[in-house]
Amino acid sequence: MSGPVNGWMSESVSAPGQTRIVFEEVSKFYGDVLGVNRVNLSIPPGITSLVGPNGSGKTTLMNLMTGLVRPTRGHIRVLGIAPDDPERLFRAVGYCTQFDSFPRGMTGYQFIYSYLRLFGYPHAKSCELAMRAIDRVSLADAAGRKIAGYSKGMRQRIKLAQAVCHNPSVLVLDEPLNGLDPLIRAETIALFRALAAEGLHLIISSHVLHEVDVISDQVILLSNGYVVAEGQIQGVRDEIQEHPMQILIRCDKPGELASQVFHNDYVVEARIHNDRQGVLVKTRDADRFYLLLNKIAQNGVEIESVAPADDDVLSVYEYLIGTEESTK
Amino acid sequence: MAVHKRSYRSYAGGFTPEWSRFTIITRYAFKNLFRSRLLTAYFVCCFFYPLGCAVALYVNHNLSLLSAFNARQVFAVDAGFFLSFLGVQSGFAFILTAIVGPGLVSPDLANNALPLYLARPFSRTEYVLGKMAILLWLLSLITWIPGLILFLIESSLSGGAWARANIGLAWGIFIGCGIEILVFSLLSLAISAWIKRKLAAGAALLGVFFFGSGLAQVINAVLETKNGYLIDLGNLLTTVEGSLFGHSNVVGISASSAWIALIAACVFCVALLERKVRAYEVVVG
Repeated sequence: MSGPVNGWMSESVSAPGQTRIVFEEVSKFYGDVLGVNRVNLSIPPGITSLVGPNGSGKTTLMNLMTGLVRPTRGHIRVLGIAPDDPERLFRAVGYCTQFDSFPRGMTGYQFIYSYLRLFGYPHAKSCELAMRAIDRVSLADAAGRKIAGYSKGMRQRIKLAQAVCHNPSVLVLDEPLNGLDPLIRAETIALFRALAAEGLHLIISSHVLHEVDVISDQVILLSNGYVVAEGQIQGVRDEIQEHPMQILIRCDKPGELASQVFHNDYVVEARIHNDRQGVLVKTRDADRFYLLLNKIAQNGVEIESVAPADDDVLSVYEYLIGTEESTK
Repeated sequence: MAVHKRSYRSYAGGFTPEWSRFTIITRYAFKNLFRSRLLTAYFVCCFFYPLGCAVALYVNHNLSLLSAFNARQVFAVDAGFFLSFLGVQSGFAFILTAIVGPGLVSPDLANNALPLYLARPFSRTEYVLGKMAILLWLLSLITWIPGLILFLIESSLSGGAWARANIGLAWGIFIGCGIEILVFSLLSLAISAWIKRKLAAGAALLGVFFFGSGLAQVINAVLETKNGYLIDLGNLLTTVEGSLFGHSNVVGISASSAWIALIAACVFCVALLERKVRAYEVVVG
């Protein structure tokens, strides 16, 4: 499968390029090696996650939008700015790499302050912005300590602070949740949400799929340098026709419900759940199945809940990428 | 899809001039360098010889002191005096470069720090310039700056006529040291960019000079030519400095050939830096 699987892309093409990150037919080759190929995207504000296995092109895509590598073909615009105009681009973009790279002997505060000076902020403004960024990532108490003595989680947060310190409109974050403990992870996710609510674009790459689900407004699924799907995750799932939808129905008479739904040709499988308090149904036509469920409910089966069981990123990832990877 | 409304205001004040941003790197690097007591001690030692020369110039013009030694003038202050001064200070400058230079770029490459620098309104050229400025300052402080101070001291002691007659020496000091500093800086940065281990990079810098000199001798002996000296950076610098002070060449290659070879060496170093100082190193194969 290639190209978008839902209408998000086509819906957004007509939107003004000044508020989106736009890729037009972008390819990047490293010699003979493919980085990404024929990528067309139009990313709106909010949290967008890049998902894919190692080597799928996530970091290449991030480097392309930050101008750190140049496309072999195609055009990129970040809020209307070309990535080869760093003076304008990096006023609007904050980038957090996946690498820990801190100048020796610096404190957290000095780290942020010095990079703000590189941006051209005067001393007083740099001090103010540095402290504000450090506060945002809850590191105010450790600001005066040397980064060499920071824990992994603190290093991740100080990296995040250097990316947000100049109030960018676009944040590109490569594996930003790596190494964070659950509490700090929750705080960081809350920070992402707050930033997104302020109108920022957050582009996040992550391997932790259940977190992608929790965080993202939309996802971009990559495999072997191609975009295999993009958009809101439920929408992407709806478009995957070859895998029947899985629906978990919690009810008082799972056996009776299973026998009633199984006669229908659009129901592929009906299986009593392990806790014997529900039925897991696989269907090729979710709409017809929901109509059937209404009838069953009127015939004496008490239904507590109905929930899709595979419209999360993990399932979509497995359907779209896992199957391709396994066929290699 | 969530509806997002941009609710913050970006900074709207002034920025520092673009040209000055590379000095941030230089400033922080200085702080780091002088944390090392060994380097600080060595740097202080680099000023002993210029200080000795300044005292000698004073003594040279102090009649009461000279009479104590029963002499009218101890030595002549001419091209030879300044050339030997530069010879000594060049040695100090080379060792200082071997200590400082290898640690400038290699840690950033080893730690993948370049994307962090370059994800700012900050170019690769500015990065290299910022790193190079460290060596430019340090080496200037121990070569042409004390050299010109000595020239001024001698001018004040001997009078304006001496200064006017020998103004070419001042230019010789400035240009000779300038080309030397440029070669030392570019070479050490290029080596630092290609060799990630600091110790190995320091050894490579020494190797380029000493192995180059040895190889030049071998080429000259085998091919019965003088062109081998074109790969001997030490001799090239000596030839260029000698020509600036009006001294005849001692190694058998012309000053113009030496200039061309040094410029080619600088261009080669810039090409090496251009190849290596990138946000992401692409390894194919």
